[in-house]
Amino acid sequence: MKKTICIVLGLMLVASTMVFAKDKPAADSKKGITVVFVPKLTGNAFFESANIGAQDYAKKHGFTVKYDGNPEASVANQVTVIDNAINTGADAICVSSVDAKGLDSIMREAKKAGVKVVTWDSDVSGDARTVMVSQGTPDILGKMLVDMLADSLKERGKNPAKDAIKYCWHYSQATVADQNSWQVAGEAYIKKAYPNWKNVAPSNYYSEQDAEKAITIGEAILTAHPDIDGIICNDSTALPGQAQAAQNLGKTKKDVSITGFASPNSMKGYCKAGIIARWGLWDCKIQGALGCYLAYYLASGKTIKVGDKINVPDIGTVEVFPNTVLDPKAYTAKDSGVVLLPERAVFTIDNMNNYNF
Amino acid sequence: MDKQTLGKKLFRWESALVLLLVFEVLVFGAINPKFLMPRVLLGSINNFMSICIVSLFVTFVLITGGIDIQAGSIVGLTSIVIGVLWNDGGLNIYTACLVGLLVGATCGLLSGFFVAYTGVQAMVVTLGGSFLYSGLALAVTKFSSTESYKGISGFPESFTAIAKGKIFSIIPNQLVIFIALVLFAYVLLHMTKYGRKVFLCGVNKNAAEYSGINSRLVIMSTYVLSGIGASIAGILLTAYLGTAKTDLGKEITLPVITAVVLGGTSNLGGTGGVIGTALAALLIGLLRFGLSMADVNTQYLDIPVGVLLVLAVAARFTGSNDKIRSFFRRFRVLFSK
Repeated sequence: MKKTICIVLGLMLVASTMVFAKDKPAADSKKGITVVFVPKLTGNAFFESANIGAQDYAKKHGFTVKYDGNPEASVANQVTVIDNAINTGADAICVSSVDAKGLDSIMREAKKAGVKVVTWDSDVSGDARTVMVSQGTPDILGKMLVDMLADSLKERGKNPAKDAIKYCWHYSQATVADQNSWQVAGEAYIKKAYPNWKNVAPSNYYSEQDAEKAITIGEAILTAHPDIDGIICNDSTALPGQAQAAQNLGKTKKDVSITGFASPNSMKGYCKAGIIARWGLWDCKIQGALGCYLAYYLASGKTIKVGDKINVPDIGTVEVFPNTVLDPKAYTAKDSGVVLLPERAVFTIDNMNNYNF
Repeated sequence: MDKQTLGKKLFRWESALVLLLVFEVLVFGAINPKFLMPRVLLGSINNFMSICIVSLFVTFVLITGGIDIQAGSIVGLTSIVIGVLWNDGGLNIYTACLVGLLVGATCGLLSGFFVAYTGVQAMVVTLGGSFLYSGLALAVTKFSSTESYKGISGFPESFTAIAKGKIFSIIPNQLVIFIALVLFAYVLLHMTKYGRKVFLCGVNKNAAEYSGINSRLVIMSTYVLSGIGASIAGILLTAYLGTAKTDLGKEITLPVITAVVLGGTSNLGGTGGVIGTALAALLIGLLRFGLSMADVNTQYLDIPVGVLLVLAVAARFTGSNDKIRSFFRRFRVLFSK
């Protein structure tokens, strides 16, 4: 009996290995340069579209991008993915880190092993990677979030400059670097430009990039503060969740202004239904492509230094800035810099159908 | 079921696990020879050691018929307590680790108390515990000058070397620590009076009570043990990643339960063992690692683990069910004729 069990289980293992291994026979061939592209988590519209952008771009320009991530966003999971990339002999990695410091040591190990290290979307310490592809400085993005809210408020007859606007923030968690830096910059901007606004939840609402939790938290916000004027969701899971919550409770863009960052496709339905007036994002397909291109650029033997201007085919010329553009206290060195995405977009009912990601 | 057949059965299950483990190494080695390089194979163990360590002590809880889904949050709480005490409290890192262990034990004690003395279901208590301790972990960061999203890092090298170092530059320290913990847990569970009491509480709490065992105390103590186990994992994970964070370990809860159950411990209590858990934890970890070395995308790795768990547990259950066994026996007789 036990023997049969062993054999059956063994066969199952082999079978599952073969089934899945067949998926990607190309990545093992050592012909071209392989970049391992690591998202914070898989199955999220933002990261999946960044991957589509990266894959298309790589195919066109003759290198391989292997998308590898875990459905659950955590430091330990990402460390495992990167460790595996080193072990399987990847030439470069391009990572969106779930943690500002937690990946530093494994990234340094990767560098030591000769793997080129690039980050995108969410950064690690400056000395643990060569270049970061950033969607914009915290000041740019924080202001963008607040301006979108102010525009939506105006649209429904409020006066953001005078009325006592009640608002709050709803995003992933207190431990994510980029989203918190936008929130801090946005708050600073509100204090300066709109001192009449009142944050009803200074410790913020967090939904941990969990789609269901985003709805639950979203409903909790609307129930706890029925008179709230605006909710800023600077997280691509929180925003659709918040919009769904508003829809569930029968609220529309006339009752409460919801805005934030999410991919156009994930919000089109809510925009058509009149739940949300405007939201924004950068073109994450270009961000994914640019990150992977720079990783490929490094892996093909070129170097990147602060002050360089790099001509990226199909995307344009980008400049390498010192790390201090993102954080004034950041580590500075010649061989560690930041590249900013050329542009960002605000989506409304009028232009959303021009974007498909 | 008398003790001998029970022992025999467990032994056989464990040998099945060993066979699977060997088989796995051979198959993955054939697919990607790099898998067999000692540096790669042993190095991969560092990445899932926290699951191995936590599952060892959660085994005790499951044997008493309970369940522990709070261990993951104790990992994070321990990590952040160590970080804050060291970074902002000015404590020596090793003293901070001791305090971390104490915190883990206290968390276990608190939940264990409610499970053992109030009769509330273990699932409910430890679910509450998981929210409570991960919430506390976030609260602890308020005492720190570092923003919670940044994590506390910059630990002395002697500390990070505990988890990153290698003996003879090949055997990871974490593996040595794990083997030591397996031995400790094995002796405690299978060779002491205390271990016998743990089993008896799982088989029949009333009978245990009537034979003069303070079953509540025993049950409570298993949660303290699993709290300490989670703290050890928290210390090692902090040292390995070089950063103290509140959300370390949040994803290990279900893998831990998987390892314990696959290892042959019944979730109904009364049967199980430490060696099985240790083997199963390694089996799952190496399965995931081997598959990713075979170029399977990480996001699909839960599928084979799920298949393995359901099949293995179903097979084990079928194998020990007398009715099904006799059915198969009849079947065999039919064919031989």
